[in-house]
Amino acid sequence: MSEPLLEVIDLKKHFPIRGGILLRQVAAIHAVDGVSFDVKQGETLGLVGESGCGKTTLARTTLRLIKTDAGEVRYMGRDLLKLSKKEMRKVRLEMAMIFQDPYSSLNPRMTLADIISEPIDIHGLAKGAEKKRRIIELVKRVGLAPFHMYRYPHEFSGGQKQRIGIARALAGNPKLLVADEPVSSLDVSVRAQILNLLKDLQEELGLTYLYISHDLSTVKHMSDRVGVMYVGKLVELAPAKEIYNNPQHPYTEALISAIPIPGRGASEKRIILKGSVPTPIDPPPGCRFNPRCPYSKPICAKEDPEFIEVKDGHFVACHLKK
Amino acid sequence: MSNSLLLSINELKTYFFTSEGIVKAVDEVCLGINKGEVLGLVGESGCGKSTLALSIIRLIRPPGKIVGGEIWFEGEDLLSKSEGEMRKIRGGEISMIFQNPMSSMNPLHTVGSQIAEAIELHQDAQKHELKAMVVDMLHAVGIPDPLRRMEDYPHEYSGGMCQRAMTAMALSCNPKLLIADEPTTNLDVTIQAQILELMKRLRRELGTSVLLIGHNLGVISELCDKVAVMYGGKLVEYSDLTTIFEEAKHPYTQALLESIPRLDIETERLRIIPGTVPRLINPPPGCRFYPRCEYAKSICSKEEPPLTEIGQGHSAACFLYTSKRRTKSPT
Repeated sequence: MSEPLLEVIDLKKHFPIRGGILLRQVAAIHAVDGVSFDVKQGETLGLVGESGCGKTTLARTTLRLIKTDAGEVRYMGRDLLKLSKKEMRKVRLEMAMIFQDPYSSLNPRMTLADIISEPIDIHGLAKGAEKKRRIIELVKRVGLAPFHMYRYPHEFSGGQKQRIGIARALAGNPKLLVADEPVSSLDVSVRAQILNLLKDLQEELGLTYLYISHDLSTVKHMSDRVGVMYVGKLVELAPAKEIYNNPQHPYTEALISAIPIPGRGASEKRIILKGSVPTPIDPPPGCRFNPRCPYSKPICAKEDPEFIEVKDGHFVACHLKK
Repeated sequence: MSNSLLLSINELKTYFFTSEGIVKAVDEVCLGINKGEVLGLVGESGCGKSTLALSIIRLIRPPGKIVGGEIWFEGEDLLSKSEGEMRKIRGGEISMIFQNPMSSMNPLHTVGSQIAEAIELHQDAQKHELKAMVVDMLHAVGIPDPLRRMEDYPHEYSGGMCQRAMTAMALSCNPKLLIADEPTTNLDVTIQAQILELMKRLRRELGTSVLLIGHNLGVISELCDKVAVMYGGKLVEYSDLTTIFEEAKHPYTQALLESIPRLDIETERLRIIPGTVPRLINPPPGCRFYPRCEYAKSICSKEEPPLTEIGQGHSAACFLYTSKRRTKSPT
């Protein structure tokens, strides 16, 4: 594998909850709590987890769209969190994001051409005829036609809107694309179009993806490596095939067994977890999964398990795997 | 499993009369559910599956209207019932679980009192028995500490618990038919697994017939005996579960099955269905799927393919499988 394009080291983001008359901080939401991983050049790293596990916060802190509390984010060796605003703006050209909801992430008052030209204008990448040529190229690249350029977002279908979102993300010639649930709001028959488009673009442009979703089947389809998050922590990280065939963390195991497979009929071996995902507000000490874990031991309630490598490139945070 | 028909829908048409035109949300759909059977109704958003469900319990509101067809339930025509008679059937013999459990409960009343209300309306229960019945129902759907939790308000429940409470309410009057409209769509996978397990258990224990509506083919294959596929307001294929997944005949069903990424199969590229789901306002003549179909023939754009039996209990609406066109001559 090649050099890491992005390295995230012990990243933390806590959102304060204020209360009382003086609005003192009474608690904190540990949205991302000490997460480390790297994304290698040209690969797709998938991040899965259930709602509220901190996937989206992780994506946003990684791109410095929200402030971090601790940790480092290294992009091609430079710590992004230490860059000045001006320097950050330059780096941002190389990292782009595709959002979950194509309906609300496009300005309804801008035409397709305006939407795509905005990043080009802001970064001063091209002007006049050159800009127009570029916009047309981007529009074609994502599978839309040049005659769409002067239409407004409401004139497009959900799948087409997501294509516009992708074209906008590509406008600055990024190296890294962060896709946060890019297909979850689309119809099933349209999802495949977008997933295939993302794969084609990666091949043609040599893009690196950080692909975030709660849907394990799509994550497996898209990713080279997969990280599993649970309440602000990364609990397992391994090559995609390995994580599905040989999950090491009890949560990953339950998560994979919980997915009904089309055409297989009723499964009997399903692991049913008790309770629901705990809130990330001042989580208890120890492993966050331990109240639901079928294999929980006394140590799990006391100590936070370390994130260790159990096999080549397969990391897991579980006391049972020491 | 007995083979007597519980619900039979015949050429049902539910249209919405909007200012932009007539939306043919459900167009000449024929469907039946046997006693004790779980029928899965699959389709993408806007294909008319929820409208079909709401038509059965006659909850279609203007501008929507049932303009034709018949719905027979236990030998009675539901479409000829008065509103008062329907009210007795709804929540009694036919009950429904809605897609969004959080918003389908009244936030101003406790969960327990809402379930009690449903029981009170449909059964001759004494006031003092009510509480015990509610506790029993909540216990049956796996709510921990039901005696205390029945006093909670819906916002104090998590999404999964709300869905359980809705299920408890729907089952509280021992319905003969349960309509579940995307019961797990808004839930996390681990919670979805809990609800699926619950529904399987209830089905074993109570033998209720279920119409399960959803777009997640995995969920459908966990619970259903039969599967009906809808596209653009039309029923395009119907068969038992294994046949649909292994020998789907309609090009839409085939493409749908191949376009989803799966955990158990490695695929480099997914099959693409070009275009998007059609709008149902003034649909063109011919097969609704024809603009996106790779096998489209000239006849497909002109005539509507009838739903034809192509195998044992397997029907599809596609000209690829109908050698002869439907003729009006009586035989």
